Amino acid sequence: MSTPLIILIVLAIVLVLMYNSLVAKKNQVENIFSSVDTQLKKRYDLIPNLVASVSKYMEHEKSILEDVTKLRAEANKPNISNEHKMALDAKMSAALGSIMIAVENYPELKANENVMHLQHTLNEVEAQISAARRAYNQAVTDYNNALEQVPTNFMANAMGYSRKDVFEISEHERKNVNVKELFN
Amino acid sequence: MKGLSELTDFYYKTLFPTLQKLEEDRKKLQKRIITIGVIYTLFALVILISLTSSNYVNFDFIIFLAFAYFGGGSFLYKYLIKDYTKEFKANVIDPLIKEIDSELHYVAQMHVAEQHFSRSKLFTTKPDRVSGNDYVRGKIDGINIEFSDFHAEKRHRDSKGRTSWNTLFQGLFIISEFNKNFKGTTVILPDSAESTFGSFIGSWLQSNNFGRDELIKMDSVAFEKEFVVYGTDQIEARYILTPLLMQKLLNYKKRTKKKLFISFTSKKLYIAIAYNKDLFEPSVFHSLLKYKIAMEYVETLHLAIGIVEELKLNQKLWSKQ
Repeated sequence: MSTPLIILIVLAIVLVLMYNSLVAKKNQVENIFSSVDTQLKKRYDLIPNLVASVSKYMEHEKSILEDVTKLRAEANKPNISNEHKMALDAKMSAALGSIMIAVENYPELKANENVMHLQHTLNEVEAQISAARRAYNQAVTDYNNALEQVPTNFMANAMGYSRKDVFEISEHERKNVNVKELFN
Repeated sequence: MKGLSELTDFYYKTLFPTLQKLEEDRKKLQKRIITIGVIYTLFALVILISLTSSNYVNFDFIIFLAFAYFGGGSFLYKYLIKDYTKEFKANVIDPLIKEIDSELHYVAQMHVAEQHFSRSKLFTTKPDRVSGNDYVRGKIDGINIEFSDFHAEKRHRDSKGRTSWNTLFQGLFIISEFNKNFKGTTVILPDSAESTFGSFIGSWLQSNNFGRDELIKMDSVAFEKEFVVYGTDQIEARYILTPLLMQKLLNYKKRTKKKLFISFTSKKLYIAIAYNKDLFEPSVFHSLLKYKIAMEYVETLHLAIGIVEELKLNQKLWSKQ
């Protein structure tokens, strides 16, 4: 075989490998986002029950409860973009966090079995969401790295790939949910 | 659970009369071992000298003789310390374990079941021979835990047909319940590739490790430096390995100062700590009252049983209640 032919074959192999690795990275991001989505849906499904159980007692927090309901309605709309979903998720986490803190001020609620069950379930879903978000962020970081690093950046450019955003991980979440505090 | 200082107190105060008696036994035993050792060596030398005068001696034969000398010697040594070891385990190790938690059971001659070793997926090579002792089982804060000394070896045959044994793992093998539900497998191993070859080539080697599941990159720089994680599920691995648990595992690694192998599989948590020696054996040539010797027993037990408290395994999430 002549030398130019060998160089051509090697070059073709390198290009195919680069192309495939970029596609795999992009699919990994999409794959994991769909898992994040499933977990987020699970959390949205808990909201009506939660609002119904606590609204009788929570007079001062009416506005937060309304916010939560609105956010849920918005998230349930069809065809919303991933970026929008991520923004809604951040708002939702904050709102639910303040409801959970508010529950502490109502002894009747704290003792209510239904609310306790909801708290536990929510806690579990939050842990799942947190894990899914971190997995997503790692996948996005790998993808974004490939987009910027030589030589895959040329290929990515040609394929028209663009950078993706990561989930903001709040300081509160970094510390992780303190199960004990929530249970007491 | 009792703390380290309380246990040290217990060792030196409550166990003191027992230790004194054992100490006398130990001194007698030490003399006996030295006497018998000298006689045994002289005997071996006589055989060697009487054989050198004949024509049979060649290099292979001397090697064979050396092996026979050490093999016989270690057999003799084990035989001589048998009673002393039994006494020590029944009167020192057993009370120490009971002092940590009265609901723990101790069996000196048993070890954790062999299938746990393969089920843990920590080591990809199947052992040909396993041994171990000092088995402890019980509940700490409602969490089932069991552990023992464990030694797994692989048989090796060279071209001449001689067999030798390679150690796959020797140290503490701990099995415990975990406070979260999971379906897949997550394995955490000491990061040897990244520390040997640097981060670029190291991580390439890690991602191409056949025989292991998918590489999972964790979002903690300190954790990634010490460990490498493989798993069947990217999300589940992070569900298990929260930032808090990663920090706790790092602290635990610092306390043990040994190589740590951790896996979450078959609904259990497996931890293997590579001490590379048989633990909880009585010291023969050093006094049992020596602080360093005492601390080794106390600390190792505390480390193994303390895993429940250290990793907060008793804080169950809703799905596990």
